[in-house]
Amino acid sequence: MTLLVQQLVLGLLIGGVYVAVAIGFSLVWGVLNIVNLAHGGLVIIGAYLTWLLFSAFNVDPFLSIPIVAAALFVIGYVVQRLLINRVIRAPIFFTLLLTFGVNLVIINVLLLLFKSDFRSVTPSYSGSGLSLGGVQLPYIRVAGLAVALLLAGAVALFLARSRIGGAIQAVGADRDAAQLVGVDLRHVYALTFGIGAACAGVAGGLISTAQAITPSAGEPYTLQAFVVVILGGLGRVSATVVGGLLFGVVETLAQTMVPGLGAGWANAIAFAILVVVLAVRPRGLMGRPV
Amino acid sequence: MPDSQPSGSFSTRPDAGGRRLRRVLLAVFALAVLLVLIAPLSTSDQADALGLPVLVDKSQIRILTTIAMFVVMATAWNLVGGLTGYGAFGNVAFFGLGAYACAVLVDPHKFHLPMLAGIALAPLVPIAFAVFVGLPLLRLRSHYFSIATLGTAVAVGEVVKNVEYLGGANGLFPPIVRRGDLLFLYLMVAAAAIAVGSVYLVLRSRFGYGLIAIRENEDAAAVLGVNTTLYKVAAFALAAGLTGLAGAVFAVWNSFINQELGFSLDFNIQMILMAVVGGAGTLFGPVLGAILLELLLQALAGQGTVAVYAQIGLGLLLAVTVIFVPRGLVDFFGGSSRLSLGYLRRTLRETSV
Amino acid sequence: MALLSLAHVNKRFGGVSALTDVGFQVEQGEILGLIGPNGAGKTTLLNCISGVFPLDGGSIHFAGQRISGLPPHRIARLGIGRTFQVVKPFLSMTVRENAAVGALFGASNLQPRQAFQAADDVLELVGMAAKSGNPVGSLTIPDRKRLEVARALATKPRLLLLDEVMAGLNAVEVDEALDMVRTVHQSGVTIVLIEHVMKVVVGLCQRVVVLNFGQPLAAGTPEEVLRDERVIEAYLGEKYAARVRRAGG
Repeated sequence: MTLLVQQLVLGLLIGGVYVAVAIGFSLVWGVLNIVNLAHGGLVIIGAYLTWLLFSAFNVDPFLSIPIVAAALFVIGYVVQRLLINRVIRAPIFFTLLLTFGVNLVIINVLLLLFKSDFRSVTPSYSGSGLSLGGVQLPYIRVAGLAVALLLAGAVALFLARSRIGGAIQAVGADRDAAQLVGVDLRHVYALTFGIGAACAGVAGGLISTAQAITPSAGEPYTLQAFVVVILGGLGRVSATVVGGLLFGVVETLAQTMVPGLGAGWANAIAFAILVVVLAVRPRGLMGRPV
Repeated sequence: MPDSQPSGSFSTRPDAGGRRLRRVLLAVFALAVLLVLIAPLSTSDQADALGLPVLVDKSQIRILTTIAMFVVMATAWNLVGGLTGYGAFGNVAFFGLGAYACAVLVDPHKFHLPMLAGIALAPLVPIAFAVFVGLPLLRLRSHYFSIATLGTAVAVGEVVKNVEYLGGANGLFPPIVRRGDLLFLYLMVAAAAIAVGSVYLVLRSRFGYGLIAIRENEDAAAVLGVNTTLYKVAAFALAAGLTGLAGAVFAVWNSFINQELGFSLDFNIQMILMAVVGGAGTLFGPVLGAILLELLLQALAGQGTVAVYAQIGLGLLLAVTVIFVPRGLVDFFGGSSRLSLGYLRRTLRETSV
Repeated sequence: MALLSLAHVNKRFGGVSALTDVGFQVEQGEILGLIGPNGAGKTTLLNCISGVFPLDGGSIHFAGQRISGLPPHRIARLGIGRTFQVVKPFLSMTVRENAAVGALFGASNLQPRQAFQAADDVLELVGMAAKSGNPVGSLTIPDRKRLEVARALATKPRLLLLDEVMAGLNAVEVDEALDMVRTVHQSGVTIVLIEHVMKVVVGLCQRVVVLNFGQPLAAGTPEEVLRDERVIEAYLGEKYAARVRRAGG
């Protein structure tokens, strides 16, 4: 019983990372209609920045989140403005190819800069945690979940309340109508992608505290973000939160409680979930009706 | 009075530019045939034996074989991604399944079939798989289809890696064929000929017109009487069979197959890139793309840092291609457009905000 | 025996009823008009007949065979052709190739060589032979609508369903389109058409079925139906109907 509770809790905590990873991905997909295959690469840039700040200046990974987010925002804005804006009206497949190319460049530039050595961010409190009735709660993981939920709340609030958030939602709902009422599409697209990248950066910071990072460590996260968005549904931050937490729990339980499965099956499990959801309820658990 | 012949494929119209394209491709084809024909007389072993000069060494034969392999894969991808308009993003699954199937079939401790029988039968596995996953997957559209196929490829690779019978993480080792370079070159070129020939026939058949109609407007195609489900699954299965054939030849040629080789995400993206660079939806575009890009990759190939730069170059090439030449190089060779600043500007205007 | 017969056809979207208990028959060789206010379910009905939407109840028979439940391509092969209100041309193809796709499939089911010949014949019939080699992207709206008809016609249908082929055309273009539909009808095709332009309905249709809120409201000759108070009310609102009543005395 304790084992089950422990796994449930662990699943929720891991789910927090998935929430953080998927928020930006979902935003970009929902508004720009782009499945960003460079999302994992952006996440890992965030992780490396966090590691740099930590190892060179001893900045606490949670304190460096705003800096990392700002840096990633700039990168995201530029990538969208210079590259992706140029193919946004091309067939959907082309944005996949383009973002795949961007991802390839990111990974290999990181390889040039940092080599393929494993890096990790280990502040003094990493490894310690709380024990509640036999259930372990690692501080870092708990803080990660908290940051992810805060991020989700901030993005939701931003979209609902701010002027720019309103413009972003208008563009997501109807690109042509938004343009007619005077929204600068190029700028709003770039802002949206920038915010998506900033979210990826935050996720990268969280990931750097939880696992060792390499330039290619981001790749699984793109597929996982996709699964989370499919699971929860496109178009709402709350759906991403539910999807992320649920995915974390299902994946953890499947790996630990089902005999014969293990860590080596993570992708296969993710894909199985993906196919089941797509077959049964294509717009996700909480997605808006199409 | 328009001539009453079907005007070939929808994408390559026999105008003046088409004839120029045909001449260019014919020249390329003739060169390839010539190389293949003189190869036996000029590789080190045979040339030594006959006292002839060595014109083509083994590494060059290897490159030619690799090019032929990618011609198969890019051409097969074109059936689904180019003609039918479904952006398949996981065709490497078919390659891996074909390779593993062949490795199992020729394994002395498993089925122990003769090599050619193994190669001939192996594509049945990816075909069956394509029909099985195609039925649910091909109901999805746009991104959903693309990522679901990518997920399939990743997941199948992972399952294969976890199956003891398939050698687990170690992979399988089909028996080495001694002095097989030329044999495998011929086999792979034959596979390429089968692939290009298949697409040629498809483009001239009712099947091909149906696929293009699906790409242009699936609802309209259905009410005109196109059995869209059957056609899509058939195209998917044909692509799977061809890609699996390349995988089967690769497995015995390389005499080693594991998850990383069989389900390589590099191969996965390269075949798509080749088709798009050359010209998706055309007969010869993917062929041209495969030849040019593989030569480029070979020129850039290297170890360590060089390989990293090559990957960066590949990423940039992807970006430049989709931004500036989305219709592929065939568009220029075909004479329908001339490569100029104006062309690039026009392309940009069409697709950007 | 009627060529097409609908009985108790029901269609719901979520909780909303789009069609309720619709039933009528189309006789071989006639032109039947399907009219009704916006949102009455006319296009939904065409989608049900052509198999694009499955039915939630009732049945549809074509030439004595039950077609409800069949996929669109099977229905097309049995000889029902249709156009879409919002035209759906194959954009990368020429006019001739568009028509040829129709001839390759549907009830005509030809091999490519014959299909292109059939395409030329159909384009001649609808008056587009001169634009045969043009890319579809260069066509005007009336021409795109024409092509939509040509493509459906190329499938060699016994029954052709036309969804507002006159909408958005000017007076001259409407007259041309009327001629086209008459020509098609004279070539032996039974036609069901959705139309808002009353001139077209009166000028073409032998019989009219009126739909309102997904239910059949009236049926008869165009003159009968257009005099029917319930129809006037459905179209113009009760107030206007009362005025017509008074004026008519």
